[in-house]
Amino acid sequence: MRLTLAGALGAVAAAAPAAAFAVDYLTAEQAARLMFPDADRFEPRELNLDAAEMQALDAQGVRSRSARWSVQLAQHAGQPLGVVVTDDVVGKFELISYAVGIGLDGTVKQIEILSYRESHGGEIRLPAWRRQFVGKTAASPLRVGDDIANISGATLSCTHVTEGVRRIVAVVALARRNGKLGP
Amino acid sequence: MNRTRVPTALRGLVVVASLACAGAASAQSATEVELGRRLDQLAAELAKVKAELAQLQQQRAAAPATAAASAPAAAVAAAPPAAPSTAQGPGLAEPTTAIVSYAEISYSRPTNDTKNTVADLGRFVLGYQHRFDEKTKVVTELEVEHAVSSAGDRGEVEVEQAYVERQLSRDYSARAGLFLIPAGLLNENHEPNAYYGVFRNFVETAIIPSTWREGGLQIVGSYDNGLTAQAGVTTGFDLTKWDATSTEGAESPLGSIHQELQLAKARDLSVFGALNWRGVPGLHVGGSLFTGGATHGQSPTSARVTLWDLHARYTPGRFDLSGVYSRGTISNTAALNAPLVGNPTLIPTSFDGWYAQAAYRAWSNADYSLAPFVRYEEFNTARSFADLGAGLTPAAAPTQRVTTVGANFYIGSGVVLKTDYQWFRSSDANRFDLGLGWSF
Amino acid sequence: MRAQERRGSSGWSRRAIAAGMACVAMALAGCGGGGTATSDAAPPEERALSEQAALGEQIFADATLSASRRQSCASCHDPAFGHSPANALAVQLGGLDGALQGRRKSPGIRYLATNTAFFFAGDGTPTGGFFWDGRARDLAEQASEPFLNPFEMANADKASVIAKLAAAPYATEFRRVFGDRVFDDVEGAYQRMTLAIQRYEREDVEFNAFSSKYDAFLRGQATLGDQELRGLALFNAPDKGNCAACHPSARGSDGSPPLFADFSYDNLGVPRNPEIDRNADPAYFDLGLCQRADLTARTELCGAFKVPSLRNVALRQALFHNGRFKTLKDALTFYVQRDTNPEKWYPLAGDGSVQKFDDLPSAYRGNVNTTEGPYHRRPGDVPALSDAEIDDVIVFLRTLSDGYAP
Repeated sequence: MRLTLAGALGAVAAAAPAAAFAVDYLTAEQAARLMFPDADRFEPRELNLDAAEMQALDAQGVRSRSARWSVQLAQHAGQPLGVVVTDDVVGKFELISYAVGIGLDGTVKQIEILSYRESHGGEIRLPAWRRQFVGKTAASPLRVGDDIANISGATLSCTHVTEGVRRIVAVVALARRNGKLGP
Repeated sequence: MNRTRVPTALRGLVVVASLACAGAASAQSATEVELGRRLDQLAAELAKVKAELAQLQQQRAAAPATAAASAPAAAVAAAPPAAPSTAQGPGLAEPTTAIVSYAEISYSRPTNDTKNTVADLGRFVLGYQHRFDEKTKVVTELEVEHAVSSAGDRGEVEVEQAYVERQLSRDYSARAGLFLIPAGLLNENHEPNAYYGVFRNFVETAIIPSTWREGGLQIVGSYDNGLTAQAGVTTGFDLTKWDATSTEGAESPLGSIHQELQLAKARDLSVFGALNWRGVPGLHVGGSLFTGGATHGQSPTSARVTLWDLHARYTPGRFDLSGVYSRGTISNTAALNAPLVGNPTLIPTSFDGWYAQAAYRAWSNADYSLAPFVRYEEFNTARSFADLGAGLTPAAAPTQRVTTVGANFYIGSGVVLKTDYQWFRSSDANRFDLGLGWSF
Repeated sequence: MRAQERRGSSGWSRRAIAAGMACVAMALAGCGGGGTATSDAAPPEERALSEQAALGEQIFADATLSASRRQSCASCHDPAFGHSPANALAVQLGGLDGALQGRRKSPGIRYLATNTAFFFAGDGTPTGGFFWDGRARDLAEQASEPFLNPFEMANADKASVIAKLAAAPYATEFRRVFGDRVFDDVEGAYQRMTLAIQRYEREDVEFNAFSSKYDAFLRGQATLGDQELRGLALFNAPDKGNCAACHPSARGSDGSPPLFADFSYDNLGVPRNPEIDRNADPAYFDLGLCQRADLTARTELCGAFKVPSLRNVALRQALFHNGRFKTLKDALTFYVQRDTNPEKWYPLAGDGSVQKFDDLPSAYRGNVNTTEGPYHRRPGDVPALSDAEIDDVIVFLRTLSDGYAP
């Protein structure tokens, strides 16, 4: 779409979401910028998995959950840097919003917790816990009690976020293999 | 044809909006990169709208399959799930009501005393969490013990938790009502799939009287260094309830005098504090202190009950190692015990216990996992008595030693089958246990 | 069931009764519950008696209300002796000429404000009631019987009692309180008379003084001596005296002081007392609870009598329902040696065997309590308390007498 400069700025000002109170720690945009500080552009992309791909994921032991994934391609000067995916999972009762950044080689660059409102387990947003995901690939177990340590008292939150990361890593790897993340 | 109309309409809307805001636009020059970034943001918003519309169309075409993916596992039909699974941006916090429940069923067979084999629905808990808005929620739990409760039955129905939690700021929240005291590893986290073994360990039932709850006010602070601090003012214990003729006080001193906010005597309030650090993933270290008067002006003697504990849990890889030490003291027990001399169960001056436990996730697949464990505990519910005079001072109780070996078998994320064998100081009590529990 | 609520008892009594009922309803099998009164931080103060209670006080002491003109309530329930008899007779004398022997020892009537009408508790334990067999449902009903009992105050009928009442010096006051025409209706006047006595027994602090040394000790205002403390320990210990099982010594959780009675019943197999003339007839037996008209079918209750309060027991000179023992030493020795040395207490039959529980027909001797300590020993066993320990307990029991001044 082509818009005038002023129009773009104005529209953006009108459309920019306000940060919510307290338990929302980061917006998706802030997270994306943290994960790819060199990026100058995040191109949105729709991933639609077909039935065969969904089955392939299930066969891997990853519950694919949804056929449609919205991802952002991080780019610098037109060159791809990686992919950012945001998602929600349930902790015990409340939604946890998080974002996963994956590099070109399929390794996890970082994960960020965007919002967390359970009474326990807020420690998953701390760097120490999230650092465990850096460098993981689709081949990693990505399982609590295996290569990811638990937060005592927040097993469900840790497990569900870890499952979510594993799913995202698998989906992105599959999409990349099938050429759906090309330029 | 339908599908192109939507973007056209939206494009028109954006153009109108942009013309309206033209005058307000910043005069700063923006590079093409900046423009591109803003463009991408717009595209993202647009994509989101398209997705929602598509979802609506899908729902209207009566295809419920994919949309429910992000529903909370136990959400009551009262409110729809907060956002579609692929939503971007922070999660929404519409009011939701969720049912909480857990249950424990056990079978226990003393090896040398099989006539006392017992099978019991130990606990059935039903509760709800209701979120009023993004800052306020209420948490309640109702418990039925031993399946049947009536005047002629031995079960009990009790309210285990009933409190409101309000997020005060990014790091602080407040709770008011009947809530669990943050002591030990088990009290706040006591569901059947949260501990190893068919029955809760003795240190955290006989010394720390799980499930221990008091009524009052609490502030919780969660800091970025992994530290959680809790402090509060609550009701406390009632020493005038001590029954020197029964064995309850010898089984659990504080368990026999807790009030559970049941017409609780509240002239003497108690204070507590707890610090828990989880800064390193897999490591949890913490401690708590609880202290308050327990005679409420209803006895010529005033006395204070204090309980503190230290606990740690470390889960490297497949291991789950934990340990707790707890000690309680009661003041002025000589004066409290003087009218009770000769009775079998006098008020102890101190009681304490500790345990060390190791579990290992030996096997797991997508749905199941098996974790054998071993636990050794020592505790003494009457470590010392105040001197009442020669021949009148009760002897300290013998220290109990319990070794438990068993395994938890987890099915999915909420169901657990358990088995264990426990060796006691007196072999009459050795027993084999089986258990089933679930929690959601 | 709650008859005593009928006539505007004070709120204090109502709460006390409720507390008492609650405690009593939780009594364990046999004995072992707890009777407690309302909470006290200090001994109850002297309060001015209500008009009805003041009348009751005068009626209580009025000997002219008896046929012999020489016997009042106070004759057998002497305030100076804990409202128990002032002599060591097994059974008091009464009747028209004051020479007739009654049936059972006159009980002490203090600390009965929280007792209730007779009932069977949830676990079947008989509880409550007034008299040794619990047949009266409240203090008023209990007070109504001695006036007409031929062995006691021996009035021919209610009318003659009322006639005497109408001639008493306080009759004017009686008319003022209950109405000018009160004496015209004999039944009504009689009932009001007994209610006045009941009010007196509930309101007068003498009946609920809690002024013993033990009460002061519970309040933290006195300390027990070494021997007294030893005696208390022996009193409480389940493997020694085990007295507290039926005579609770601990405060209630509501802070109320102990009454040393749980208002339940027990069958101790007290030996037959030859002092009672009726016992000359070997076919005569005082069977206690099962002799009540409404309980004749409950033969397992034959021989059971009410557990009395041990407060002021040191002032009593005859103990148990048949006054068989005159001293605490004898009574306590009987308790612990009844089964280890039965020959000391019961007569020997012709063949030399001991006729244990001779005050019961042989069919009912199985009802006697032989399961709770200290009665569960056998001949040759060591008694639960030694002679010196009995002395310790007696010294402790003396601390239960009202009127302690440091």
